[in-house]
Amino acid sequence: MALLQIAEPGQSTVPHEHRLAAGIDLGTTNSLIASVQSGTASTLSDHQGGDILPSIVSYQEDSILVGEAAKSLSVSDASNTIVSAKRLIGRSLSDIQSKYPSLPYQFCGGENYPEILTRQGKINPVEVSAEILKNLNQRAEKALGGDLTGVVVTVPAHFDDAQRQSTKDAAKLAGVNVLRLLNEPTAAAVAYGLDSGQEGVIAIYDLGGGTFDISILRLNRGVFEVLATGGDAALGGDDFDVAVAEYLADQVGLSRPISPSLERQLMQQGCYAKEQLTTQASVEIELALDNQQQHTINLTKETFDCLVASLVKKTLRACRRSLKDAGITAQEVIEVVMVGGSTRVPLVRSEVETFFNQKPLTSIDPDKVVAIGAAIQADILAGNKPDSEMLLLDVTPLSLGLETMGGLVEKVIPRNTTIPVAKAQEFTTFKDGQTAMAVHVLQGERELVDHCRSLARFELRGIPAMTAGAAHIRVTFKVDADGLLSVSAMEKSTGVESSIEVKPSFGLDDGKIATMLKDSMSHAKADIDARMLKEQQVEAARVIESIQAAMLQDSHLLVVDEVSNIEQAIKFLADRSQSEDADAIEAAIKRLDKATEIFAERRMDSSISKALSGQSVDKL
Amino acid sequence: MNYFQLFGIELSFDVDLSQLSQTYQTLQKAVHPDKFAHASAQEQLLAVQKSAQINDGYQTLKQPLERAKYLLTLRGVVLPDEQQSFSDNSFLMRQMELRERLAEIRFSDDIDSALADAQKVLTQEYQVHFEQMRAQINANNADENAKASENLRKLTFYHKLNIEVERLEESLFDD
Repeated sequence: MALLQIAEPGQSTVPHEHRLAAGIDLGTTNSLIASVQSGTASTLSDHQGGDILPSIVSYQEDSILVGEAAKSLSVSDASNTIVSAKRLIGRSLSDIQSKYPSLPYQFCGGENYPEILTRQGKINPVEVSAEILKNLNQRAEKALGGDLTGVVVTVPAHFDDAQRQSTKDAAKLAGVNVLRLLNEPTAAAVAYGLDSGQEGVIAIYDLGGGTFDISILRLNRGVFEVLATGGDAALGGDDFDVAVAEYLADQVGLSRPISPSLERQLMQQGCYAKEQLTTQASVEIELALDNQQQHTINLTKETFDCLVASLVKKTLRACRRSLKDAGITAQEVIEVVMVGGSTRVPLVRSEVETFFNQKPLTSIDPDKVVAIGAAIQADILAGNKPDSEMLLLDVTPLSLGLETMGGLVEKVIPRNTTIPVAKAQEFTTFKDGQTAMAVHVLQGERELVDHCRSLARFELRGIPAMTAGAAHIRVTFKVDADGLLSVSAMEKSTGVESSIEVKPSFGLDDGKIATMLKDSMSHAKADIDARMLKEQQVEAARVIESIQAAMLQDSHLLVVDEVSNIEQAIKFLADRSQSEDADAIEAAIKRLDKATEIFAERRMDSSISKALSGQSVDKL
Repeated sequence: MNYFQLFGIELSFDVDLSQLSQTYQTLQKAVHPDKFAHASAQEQLLAVQKSAQINDGYQTLKQPLERAKYLLTLRGVVLPDEQQSFSDNSFLMRQMELRERLAEIRFSDDIDSALADAQKVLTQEYQVHFEQMRAQINANNADENAKASENLRKLTFYHKLNIEVERLEESLFDD
């Protein structure tokens, strides 16, 4: 028998090239992209040397401007220049209009599919985010000198399923491969955690432009275990700006409606005042009204603090609740990390310091820390650090449940459950002879359906007629590592199975994404075919590489026949991937997947028992 | 493979929680989908399944009432469902008393101490039933298993009362 090979400690058994990967902080106000190069994570700059890309997209006659170029048009061309699209993504029209009544856009499209009317036609918030992602992706490919294997895109921990799904759709639309959606506070913890190598419980206070997150994590031997997360998907620095803008409008006696550009001006001056008051005691604000009148208003730090005090208090309430969910007291927290540009506001810092009774950490630039953490995770997920001990265990931010009789919500997966998770619950029929059942999936903490976010509705049909209460409908909720939900239902008492997979009814469905992708290609069919072919070829190469690596490591788990079977399937795929037929390559990938099914299972089981035995050796 | 086997621990109600947490992290390091981000679709799917299973196992073994329920079910004890009527009348009376007590906290002169007192009573009574259940489960025979499942049901009532106290606290102090 041949001797088994063992590699030197710390070295991978399979030599591989460094894969290009990046982390993207897709922010409400600003976006950044970062990457790990020669062991260090840093943000990537554009050709002008700046690393911060304003999250603004302007739709001009014959061009789409992104970033600074778009920002300069945000007052003069407000209705065609989309600012803070992240606040709109994955939301319903009525939700947007009730939360942000004074946006300078003309909305159109349906309740579940809101669009903004620009001079380039109807634009969905997902498309706006896609433009930002495209821009950052191009920047990274230029800076790193090649196509990216994939990216990690960060989202607020408090984002619900529709918002996460829409963010992933935006990446798809931008042609970016998402390795993982990562929660922003968790990304920040990674950026800090690797530096200090600390063990214990930490709190991440993340106040961005439009969102607030608080996450409580336990750090232990490279594992970042999120114990609880909370926050508000519609509370951020923008709201501070709004508070100041309202104050200004009040001071000069403005009554709405006012022009979109004055609306934008008020917001910009609100933001300017907020920024100035981080270092000054007072600020002079200039306003030019629609009737050309000029006003100068003085705003002191004291007045500003009063204007935003209730917002800051709201964040502390979320902190208290998350600590409770985590079963941790404020005293047990050994470190508090500040993330997001809005934590520069002195009142925020002092209130957080009082709440946790310690000075919060701000050593990494709060604007960059999320992108840096995402880059570190991207580097690991791309496979550049096979021996990394780091592991992130994240949670669902909001409870997931179903509507039951009387408009009540039955929770299936409570908030702060570690993901991935699969949970099933059984329901029964209400009436004799009932043959169909409406399944309504909801997300939120409240007990009434009307107070929760409706994610999807579907019907389970073909239930055999039985007396009320006799049928057993098993509904299964699955949340994957990206925090995305899928739901299936089946009637099991008679053995009749009928199940359905759902996607959130908000935002874009797969058909729409495909259409949009097609629309964005200049030479339609030929372009799409070329892209599909390339995607399948890349995928084929990736699959072959990973299976060969697995065989090299674990072929002892297979008998001779099985080995030759897999080798055949590999060869078949390798041959096919030389062809020009995307479908044939896809089929060959599926065939290889099938051939390796048992191998994959045995590898998984063997790694579990190896992990357990390794641990008992540690104990000795 | 049951959850005790999955975590490589003895089939017993008494679990070393810090050891359990270490094992949990070790297992997740082996199977978490992040470790398979570059693997085949086949392995990625399996990783999600295994990882979800380990998460569920951890939650089941970590929480004492869930653990009791799981262990009794493994022993073939059929647990009564929630709708089934309760035979212990004095227990039901006690539950109603406690419920009334919680409802009155909102109107008491010193809300803080009324809340603290109620919590203390709940904890004490919970502990009594919990220790009984623990001994019954550890005795491990048909008779004691049945008694344990009865106690488990009572503990579930206390668990629900505790959730109500938390809700009450939130509504009282979240201005």
